[in-house]
Amino acid sequence: MHLLELKNISKTFPGVKALKGVSFTLNSGEVHALCGENGAGKSTLMNILAGNLQPDVGGEIVLEGQIQAIQDFNQARNLGISIVYQERSLSDNLSIAENIYANCQPQNRWGFLDYAQLYADSKGVLTRVGLGELAPQTLVEDLSAAQKQLVEIGKALAQNPKILILDEPTASITERETQHLFGLIKDLKKTGVGIIYISHRLAEIFAIADRITVLKDGAYQATLPAQEADSPKLIKLMVGRDLGELVKNQKSTSNEVALEVKGLSGLKFQNIHFKLQRGEILALAGLVGAGRSEVARAIFGMDRYESGEIWVNGQQKRFSHPADAVAAGLAYVPEERKSQGIFPDHSVAENILAAQFAGANWGGGEGEAHRQKLAQQQFDDLHIVAPSLRQVVRLLSGGNQQKTVLGRWLSKKPQVLIVDEPTHGVDVGAKFEIYQLLQKLAAQGTAILLISSELPEVLALADRIVVLCAGQISGELNAAEATEEGILRLAAGMN
Amino acid sequence: MKIQFSLFFLLLLFGLACEGPPRDSASNTPRRKGEAASEMLKNIENEEYVMVTTAAALPFYVRHDQVAFKKWGEARGVKVSIVGPPDWDIPGQVAAIEQVISTRPTGLLINGTDPGLATVINKAVDAGIPTVVYDSDIPNCRRHCFLGSDWYQMGYKQGEAIVKLAKGRKGKVAALGILGMSNEEAGFQGLQDALKKYPGIEFVGKYECKNTIEESARVTSDLISTYPDLLAVSGFTSETGPGIALAVKERNKAGQVLVTNVDAEPTLLRLMKEGVIQYLVEQKREVFIWYGSQFLWDMAHNANAMPAKYLRHGVHSAPYEVNTGLVEIFPEDVDELLE
Amino acid sequence: MKQLLQDRVATLGILILLIGIGASLAFPQQFPTFDNLQQIVLNVSIETIVAIGMMILMIAGTFDLSVGSVLALSGSLAAWMLVQGYPMPIAVVVALLSALAVGWFNGFFIARIGINALIQTLATMGIVRGLVLLVAGSGIQDLPYSFIYIGQSKMLKVQSPIWWMLALLLVFHLLLKRSIFFRRYYYIGGNERAADLSGIRVGNMKLYGFVLSALLAGVAGILLTSRLGAAISSMGKGTELRVITAVILGGASLSGGQGRILGAFLGSLFMGLIANIMVLARVSGAWQDIILGLILVAAIGFDVVLRNRAGR
Repeated sequence: MHLLELKNISKTFPGVKALKGVSFTLNSGEVHALCGENGAGKSTLMNILAGNLQPDVGGEIVLEGQIQAIQDFNQARNLGISIVYQERSLSDNLSIAENIYANCQPQNRWGFLDYAQLYADSKGVLTRVGLGELAPQTLVEDLSAAQKQLVEIGKALAQNPKILILDEPTASITERETQHLFGLIKDLKKTGVGIIYISHRLAEIFAIADRITVLKDGAYQATLPAQEADSPKLIKLMVGRDLGELVKNQKSTSNEVALEVKGLSGLKFQNIHFKLQRGEILALAGLVGAGRSEVARAIFGMDRYESGEIWVNGQQKRFSHPADAVAAGLAYVPEERKSQGIFPDHSVAENILAAQFAGANWGGGEGEAHRQKLAQQQFDDLHIVAPSLRQVVRLLSGGNQQKTVLGRWLSKKPQVLIVDEPTHGVDVGAKFEIYQLLQKLAAQGTAILLISSELPEVLALADRIVVLCAGQISGELNAAEATEEGILRLAAGMN
Repeated sequence: MKIQFSLFFLLLLFGLACEGPPRDSASNTPRRKGEAASEMLKNIENEEYVMVTTAAALPFYVRHDQVAFKKWGEARGVKVSIVGPPDWDIPGQVAAIEQVISTRPTGLLINGTDPGLATVINKAVDAGIPTVVYDSDIPNCRRHCFLGSDWYQMGYKQGEAIVKLAKGRKGKVAALGILGMSNEEAGFQGLQDALKKYPGIEFVGKYECKNTIEESARVTSDLISTYPDLLAVSGFTSETGPGIALAVKERNKAGQVLVTNVDAEPTLLRLMKEGVIQYLVEQKREVFIWYGSQFLWDMAHNANAMPAKYLRHGVHSAPYEVNTGLVEIFPEDVDELLE
Repeated sequence: MKQLLQDRVATLGILILLIGIGASLAFPQQFPTFDNLQQIVLNVSIETIVAIGMMILMIAGTFDLSVGSVLALSGSLAAWMLVQGYPMPIAVVVALLSALAVGWFNGFFIARIGINALIQTLATMGIVRGLVLLVAGSGIQDLPYSFIYIGQSKMLKVQSPIWWMLALLLVFHLLLKRSIFFRRYYYIGGNERAADLSGIRVGNMKLYGFVLSALLAGVAGILLTSRLGAAISSMGKGTELRVITAVILGGASLSGGQGRILGAFLGSLFMGLIANIMVLARVSGAWQDIILGLILVAAIGFDVVLRNRAGR
């Protein structure tokens, strides 16, 4: 008997069929990975399991041999289903303990909160997820992104679930923490918990999954045992086409220095110096929290820096606002796409055109017709998949949102393009398009500063790699000599 | 060039289409000509009298003005309506009057809340509607009649009462009310003038009460702390009295700090019975509302038979100004009034 | 049809038309007259001018509670200077400069120092109201003819505040549709941080927004004082909430990024229409507040339901 069996699950939204008769099984003590591009239906399927959405008539959820209709989140929890969402569900202003036991805090016999019990229980949960050194009273806002993710997992574990759903659990945590998480998953397997694991990172899936199911456009594709699967096979199932060789490195570097940073120091980084040449892709690698994004923000005029110099095309600059940086030919694609990149309720066209409004321009510009043409051109060039330019960006997939943000800057023809985690939360198909785009831009002479935590991405794209550790440069590697281990050693501060 | 010329022409055309407001709208001389008064006689089909006030939901207005107005309507057998913004909002009252004018009622009874009503009152008069102002008179307007109390006297009487009740004691006196309202300011002035004659009694200032009991209590409490020799506090709205009394009671100063106030709401009378309030001076609101409405009716019906030749020259049958007088209440009257 | 129903300007326009027809049938003698219709527009004209500024701020995702006080300050200051004997143009210019200064004061503390807009403009509202009491005292009357002319003259039988409103509506409608400068407010309201990273100087733009809003409130103050023929210290009390209500009715969202100038006008007009009908129907006192509140909930609720349906 399966622990969980989903039979013929469909879900129709007005105008869209998000799931088309998907079936899925999960055994106890198994890790079952769910793969698919963004929009393939993974989140919808999990939301049905968590009680947030109701399937269309005809589908069945069988839990330990019994047919269940899961009406809401609480019922799912009582049935032993816990879900760790990609988007965080923690309240920053409350303590770790109160977050872990939100809505089910231990009570004493008077019906009041039993804080002693709460903190003791929380401490146990924290130890399980590898955060034993943290006090349960710590406020969540004081945690790093990675720690928050682990607390989120702890919150799910505190329910003692029979089924644990992990949606992109490693998106914001470091390598070391990922290893700890995998250890935790293996322990859970031994106790008979069934785990559904959703991730874009194929390497992780091969490392941890027992079986892999692929969805595409809401339809079931295949279920493979992990031993039989490899990357090309999975990608083909997910994308529905052969992508062939990943990316080819083309040599386009010239000798003109587009951007030079000398001895830049700020709150979270010290004495940063590097040169970026026209046509070159320079990667800033390092662990999450090493200060890479902070360096980029300081260069772009978003944050203040204490000392150091920034030179653009041979001229020293001091940007007090991104508008100055844009005027000097810089462009920046931020890491946090949702909160800093897109204008969620605006149309694709308006998002693309945002940078046309930069700086000190007061007048009518080159006119609405010209702007519409500009937006249309980026829309076509970047193959943004949307019904029209008028579509609201919030409704696009992550990859298309990212292309929209890229299009915004390409329409300005920047000389220096800073991209921070450009493929974060982007599905495989769009990922390759973004890689190709960056390489094309470099070939045309754009200087690109790439910040990325995905080492294969760094290795495939970069001409040179500068590695940061705790706010300082710990080494520089040429593309030819760099390996994943080499970068990781520098990033971890081991020499 | 062509565009500029046609633009110029268009502006010229607009210029010619402009007309200024009547020159006298802000002048001081009441105008008494035109056919307005004789036109009034025509509006007695669909007879309706409209009271326009601000703060139409204020309990004080509801209990006195509006009850009296409705009673008068019943007694006369005519339709009466009450219109106006629920909160204190003078531009809102102006807008309401303007909208009522366009519905051409038989008569308009306007609460004289602010001098800013002058322009719109003139508009009503020019439209031939019998227009009576009550409570406070509006300077520079051509209303047909005003009825109300003399607010300077309301203050002066309180001052005299304080001197009388002090029985030779000396000390400081303060006033609480809504700063910036013309009738209240006249009251403050009357109070000051009455106290001027007595060298031992010093007026220390007028304070904003925000027309709430809480604020009145707070200010009074502060005054008691500031002036150990505080002799009396005078209140100028229906809300100040209970607030002042509350603070005086809580500081155990009842009888020691004299309290005087305008109006005679039941709450105030009870506080007087308790011995916290020593003197009240009341307007005769019901009286001015009743006669104000009656004057409107008389004008519309020409009830007091003004000769037609007078009416033709804009003379109307209402008196120019009526002072309905004041009611003074001392503790010995209170039992009878509370029955 | 579905798109039409989602556009607030269209739905509100249709609603106003329907209510207008209903009122004409209910009060055939009183409602559909030139006098009454002009009166409705005249009564909303001054607050509509304030609503233009508020709409721009709400598009940028912020708001200004001090507009009512600024309106009173500008009107009172102009009246005070006129009574002191200064010529009309100088009094008007000084009054507008005072409004501008208040706007800059708001904008500086909100955009540069980082005080929350609610707190800053609430404080300013109190400060400026106090200044108004100092300037206007118990009111200023006997204003010269040259000043009265601004708000009481008529062109083509229509009183001047209506023309002022129409001119400002047209200008700002075009500016918000066409100019680079004003389009930025949509981006700021859509996502402030993304706007900053796109090279839009969010701080400066907000500062200008508060200055503009105060300046428009100043213009409204001059018009109102001139129209009343007197400065009243209680002018503009409650204006801020009525204007915000009108702007939200007209399609602005509290989170910013949405709204049109036409919506500000229709929102004000809708409120003026309801007020007019209540006067015609002789609805008094407390009931006005209750009815207006219920209409607001119904209008916004209807819209939210419609949007949720379309969003899925």
